[in-house]
Amino acid sequence: MEERRSNRFQRPNSRSSSSSSSSTSSWQSTTSPSNKFFPNPHTSSKSTINSGDSRTRRRRFSQQQQQQQEEDGNGTSDPPAIIGTCRLMCPEGERTQRERLRDLAVFERVNGNSTLSSPSLAVKKFCRTITTKQVQPSDVRPLPVLEDTLNYLLSLFKSTEHPFEVVHDFIFDRTRSIRQDITMQNIVNDKALHMYEEMVKFHVISHHKLRSCTSPNTSSVHYLNMEQLTKTLTTLFNLYEANRNSNSTYKNEAEFHSFYVLLHLGSNSQPMGESLSVWFRRVPSPIINSKEMCFSRRILRCFRLGNYKRFLSITESEASYLQYCIIEPYVNEVRALALSCINNCGYKLHPYPLAPVHNIDDEESFCKACGLSICADEEGNKFLPTKQTTFCCPKGGFQCYGFLGLERFET
Amino acid sequence: MAYVSMGEAHRRITEYLNRFCDAVFSQDGASLRLLLSLSSNSPSLLSLADALNVFQDANRLIKQSDNYSQFAEILLPLFRALQNYRLGNLIDAYQAFEKSANGFIQEFRNWDSAWALEALYVIAFEIRVLAERADRELDSNGKTPEKLKGAGSFLMKVFGVLAGKGSKRVGALYVTCQLFKIYFKLGTVHLCRSVIRSIETARIFDFEEFPKRDKVTYMYYTGRLEVFNENFPAADHKLSYALEHCNPQSEANIRMILKYLIPVKLSIGILPEDWLLEKYNLVEYRNVVLALKRGDLRLLRQALQEHEDQFLRSGVYLVLEKLELQVYQRLIKKIYIIQKQRDPSKAHQLKLEIIVKALKWLEIDMDVDEVECIVAILIYKNLIKGYFAHKSKVVVLSKQDPFPKLNGKPVNS
Repeated sequence: MEERRSNRFQRPNSRSSSSSSSSTSSWQSTTSPSNKFFPNPHTSSKSTINSGDSRTRRRRFSQQQQQQQEEDGNGTSDPPAIIGTCRLMCPEGERTQRERLRDLAVFERVNGNSTLSSPSLAVKKFCRTITTKQVQPSDVRPLPVLEDTLNYLLSLFKSTEHPFEVVHDFIFDRTRSIRQDITMQNIVNDKALHMYEEMVKFHVISHHKLRSCTSPNTSSVHYLNMEQLTKTLTTLFNLYEANRNSNSTYKNEAEFHSFYVLLHLGSNSQPMGESLSVWFRRVPSPIINSKEMCFSRRILRCFRLGNYKRFLSITESEASYLQYCIIEPYVNEVRALALSCINNCGYKLHPYPLAPVHNIDDEESFCKACGLSICADEEGNKFLPTKQTTFCCPKGGFQCYGFLGLERFET
Repeated sequence: MAYVSMGEAHRRITEYLNRFCDAVFSQDGASLRLLLSLSSNSPSLLSLADALNVFQDANRLIKQSDNYSQFAEILLPLFRALQNYRLGNLIDAYQAFEKSANGFIQEFRNWDSAWALEALYVIAFEIRVLAERADRELDSNGKTPEKLKGAGSFLMKVFGVLAGKGSKRVGALYVTCQLFKIYFKLGTVHLCRSVIRSIETARIFDFEEFPKRDKVTYMYYTGRLEVFNENFPAADHKLSYALEHCNPQSEANIRMILKYLIPVKLSIGILPEDWLLEKYNLVEYRNVVLALKRGDLRLLRQALQEHEDQFLRSGVYLVLEKLELQVYQRLIKKIYIIQKQRDPSKAHQLKLEIIVKALKWLEIDMDVDEVECIVAILIYKNLIKGYFAHKSKVVVLSKQDPFPKLNGKPVNS
C-alpha cells in the first residue's frame, strides 16, 4: 500500500507535460492553450468527470443549490458550505432566549410552563432573514441531529392532545427550519433525500387534514402548506436527479412524481407557472411508465375528459392514501360535475337512482348542497329528479362532504 | 492552426482593426456584423484568430492608436474570445465575448440612428450560440452548465436598451426571439411571460413595425406557449399567422409550425389532408387523423401509445388525448347513420348496449354505466344534442342536427 502511494506521488512530476492520462489529477487546468492539442486528461479518465457519475451529479446539484441560495439572498459565492456542530434539536442560545421572551410553542413547554423548555423539547425555529454569512456553525445542526429531529417531529404528528392546526403549525415551521439547515450545509445525499420524502408526506397529509378544520384562517394555512408542498417536492425531484446511479430510480420516486400530476389536475385552466405539458417533457421515461405515474395520468385523462364514472371508480380502487389526500378536493368537483350532467341531460321522467352510481353515504346532503332536491319511492330508495333548475356549486367550496372510499384506509 | 509569420499576423490584425473602425465611422452595419460573427467560422475571422494566437500582443497594438483604443472595451475582449474560440476553449470564449458584447452595447447606446442594429443582431445571436456551446463544455467537464442562463440575463439587459422611443426599438423583437430560444432550451418557459408582456403592452412598440421574419418567429413561440396552456383559439391565431407569413421555401420552418398547429386544428375540428402530413414528414399524426375520421377509439389510443415519447417531449400529448371526446362523437354518429338506414323512424333512439358492443369490437371494455357517463358528458359539452333515459338505457337524439360540428371552436370545457 505504502509503496504504491509513494509511486503515485512521483508520477505527476515526470509526466507534467505529457499527454497520457493521470487519473488522479483533477486540478490540472483544462483551459491553458498548451494543453489543447493533447487529449484532455479528464476525458480519458472515466471515474471522476463522467457527467453520468453520481458524485458529479451531487456536486452539480449542490452548486445549483448554492446558486439558488445566492438568488434567494441566502448564500455567498465564495465560502464553502457550513458544517454544523449543534448537537441539540435547538441551539442553546436560541432556547434560552425564547424562554426569556416566552416564545415557546406548546410542545416545547415543560409541564405547560411558557417560560421553561428543555433540550428534549425545544426545536429550532425557522428564521426567514438569516443568511449563510451571519450564521455560526454552532447554530446549525449536522445531518444525524436533523434526522433525529425530524423523527421526533413526525412522532408528534399523530398527537391528539391539541387541535390539528396547532400540531400542523409547529411541524410546518420546524421542518422548514430543518430544510434551511440542510440547504445551508449543502447536504444533497440520499439521507437528505429520504428526509425530504418524509416532509413531503407531512405536507400531503396536512393538505388532507386541514380540510376538516374550520377556523377562520384555515384557508391561508392551507395555501401556505400547498406552497411549501410544491417547493419541497420540487427540491426532492432535484435530489433524485442528483443522486441517480445509472438509470435506476428510487423506490418512491414514481409515487412522488405522481403527486405532482395530481396536484395539477385542474390547473391547465389557470396555469400558474409551469403547465403540465411543459413538466412532462423533462420526466425520465422509466418514471413515465411506472405504475404510479400511469395511474395519475389515467386520473388526469378522466378528469379532463369528464369521465366522472371512471375517475371516481379508479380513485376508489387504486389510489394510495397519499394520492387520495391530493385527489380529494377534485373528487367533490367531479361529483358535482356528475350531478350537473345527470341533472341536465337525464330524461325528466326518469329520476336518477342515487346509490348505484355513486356509492356514497351522504350523497343526499351533497345533492342538497348543490341546490338539488331528492325524492324517494315507496321502498325508501332515493332518486334525483332531473331538469331541476336550481343547480349551483356549493358556495363554501367542498370542504364538508363525505370522503369517498376513505374507509379502506382506516385500519 | 496554420503557420503564420509575425509580419503576416501583424498585417491581418491591423487590417481587421481598420475595417472595424471604418465600419463604425461610416455607420456601415452590414460590414460591421461580418466582423463580429464568431460562430460563422468565416475564413477571414479564422485567419485573424490564427494571427492573434501567433502575435500574442494585440493589446499593445490597440492601445497604441487613438483610433483603435476608443473601442478597446469591445476589441480587447473580442480578440480574446476569438483566440479562445479558435483553440476550442468555449467557456473562455463565451466569457470574453460577453465582455465584448457589453462594451458594444455601451457604445451602441450612444450611436444615434439604428444603423448598427444588424450588428447588434449578430451579437445577440452569438451570445446565445456561444453560451450553448460553453454549457456543453461545462457539462462534459462535470460542472453545472450556467452560461446559457447568464446569456438570458444579458439579453434582458439588451432588451432594456432597445425598449425606448427611438428608431432602435424595432430590434427588440429579434432579441425577444433569442430569449425565447434560450428559455425553451433551458425549460424555463415561464420566463417568457415578462418579455411578452413588455412587447404586447408597452406603448412604444407597434407590432406591425417589426421586421416580418421576427414577427413570424415571435408568433411561432408564443403560439407554442398557447398550445402548452391549451388556449386553442389564441394558439390557432398565432401559429396560423406564423404559417401564413413564413417563407414558403423554408420547409423546415413550415414543418416546425405545423407540428404544433395540427393538434390545435384537430382540437377545433379541422383535419389536415394526408398529403400535408406526407409532405412535411408529420406522419406521426396520420393515425390520429384517421381515428377522428373513423370514430376509431382503439386507433387513437394506439397512435398515442406508439408515439408517446415524441408527443410528450413536444408537449402536445395532453392535447391529443383530449380528442377522445370527438372520436366518441364520431363513433356514435356512425352507429346512428347505420341505424337510420335500417329504420329511419326509430333511428333517433340509440340503445346504450349497442355502443357497448361497438366498443367491444374495438377491444375496449366499457360497461353500460360508463357508456352512459360518456354519453352524458358528450351531451353536456354539446357534442351530442339530446338526452339519455336511465331506466331504458337509451340515448334519445334530437331530430335536428344531433351531432353539432365544432365549427372552429374547441370542445366546451
